[in-house]
This record gives sequence, C-alpha cells and structure tokens, in this order.
Amino acid sequence: MNARAMIEAWMLLLVMSALTTALTLIEMSGQGRMIIAAGVLTLAGLKARVILSFYLQLRTSRFWTRAFDLAIGGFLVVCFGLYVLAMEP
Amino acid sequence: MSGGLSRQPSDPQPRDDWGVLGELPGDLMMWVLIVSELLVFGAALIAFLAVRTTDPAGFAADQLLLDRTEGAVNTMVLVTSGLCAALAVIARKEGRLRSKRVWLFTAAGFGVVFLIVKGAEYWSKAAAGIDIETSPFFTFYYLITGFHAAHVIAGILILILLAWADSVRTMETGVAFWHMVDLVWVLLFPIIYLLR
Repeated sequence: MNARAMIEAWMLLLVMSALTTALTLIEMSGQGRMIIAAGVLTLAGLKARVILSFYLQLRTSRFWTRAFDLAIGGFLVVCFGLYVLAMEP
Repeated sequence: MSGGLSRQPSDPQPRDDWGVLGELPGDLMMWVLIVSELLVFGAALIAFLAVRTTDPAGFAADQLLLDRTEGAVNTMVLVTSGLCAALAVIARKEGRLRSKRVWLFTAAGFGVVFLIVKGAEYWSKAAAGIDIETSPFFTFYYLITGFHAAHVIAGILILILLAWADSVRTMETGVAFWHMVDLVWVLLFPIIYLLR
C-alpha cells in the first residue's frame, strides 16, 4: 500500500470523526436519539474498517476483511441493542 | 519465537501453506494479541452498556461531566499518529531509513500529546473530586480509558524501539500494535463519551 492510499484513509478518518462530532451536536429525543446513536455507532464501525483495511493492511485479504466486519458489526449491534434497552419509555 | 507460527526475521516469503492465516501481515502472534485486546475491550464496553441499563439517568448525568471536545481532539491525534506510523513502514520498505525514524518519532510524539490531553482530563476530574469510586459510570470510565492509556504508553515505547529495528517484518508487527490502540479508541470513544 502506498503513501497516497494511507493519506486518503487518514482524511477519511478525519471526515468521519468530524461527522460523528456533528451528529452528537444535534439535540433529539425519543426515536431521534436512537437514529443519532445508530449513526454514531455506524461511523465508529466504518472508522474501525478503515483502520483495519488500510493501516493494518487487511484490504488484501477478503477473508479477514469479512471476518472483522462480522465481528465488529456484531459487537456494534449488541451495543446498539443495549443502548435501546437503556432508553426510557 | 520458536515453532512454526512465525516467519523468521530474514524471511520475506508469504506463509502460503498456512491458508488464511498466511494472509495476515506481520507476525501472527501480534494478530493473536490484537484479537485478544479487542475481545477484552469489547467485553468491557458491553459490560459498561449493560450496567448502564440499570441506571440510565445516573450514567447520563455522569457522562455530561466528560469533555467531548478533549475526546474528539484525541481521536484526531491518534488517527494522525496512526498515519505517521503507517508512513514509517512505507519509508522502511522503500529503504528511506532517516524518513522512517522521523515518522516513528512523530507518531510517538502524537502519542505523548494524546497522553497529555488524557492527563489534563483526569486532572480536571480529580480537581472536581471525581475518582474511580464516585459512581459505576466513573469506575468504568477510569478502568477502560486507563487501560487504554496504558496501551498508549506501551505503544509509544514500541514506536521508539522500532527506530532501531531494521527488518520490515518487525516494523509491521510493532506498528500493528499502535494501530490496534487506535482501533480500540475509535470504538471506545463514541460508546463512553458520545452515546447519550
């Protein structure tokens, strides 16, 4: 992987971090909060994928990319489930 | 390491006979460590969210005391540090040894900045009388972020040691640890600081 790909990955990470911050500035209640939480967790998963694919060079292995996608995706789904469970009715 | 699970330092050949394990870059033992660390932090974060279900109002009130800006700054700092570490590996592969060292020390420097921001955060909590026993939220906060900060310290030491390492494989392996620290933070930060 070349320097240009790494710099593009870094820029993507910065953009997603900024998007995460922007999302958390939106004040919502009820279902709106759930949507924001889902957005924040999705962005966290995408950032993790960029780090794994580029910084950790897993992009060349389809098997390991899918394995980590499944593991981190499953983890974030459990996190979201627990978040929803803690929401007041 | 002895045994068949790692390439010798001088061996640049892929581990073709290992199936999918051979597709992992660097030393396999580092990947065992990375997966182990992800499991430990993952379990801790799930425990944090599970306990949160028992007192969502208390957790929300405590979370308001955290500085999200400091956390966001540290995210930028760590991902930038990760870029520098990745560029150090590329420099080494291209035989630019001086450039490799510059990138490694820059990456380590960003790691120190992360610790300074984290230290300021802990300092402000301590000044406000908040410690590990203040509430379940802060018990998790100190344990998880403290454990992560310990990994940052270890990572900085590894990055500094890598400045004197010459093999590409050692570089890839050591830098992978630093990227793992980065990876954990991008999952930890939104869950502890941002989910309201």
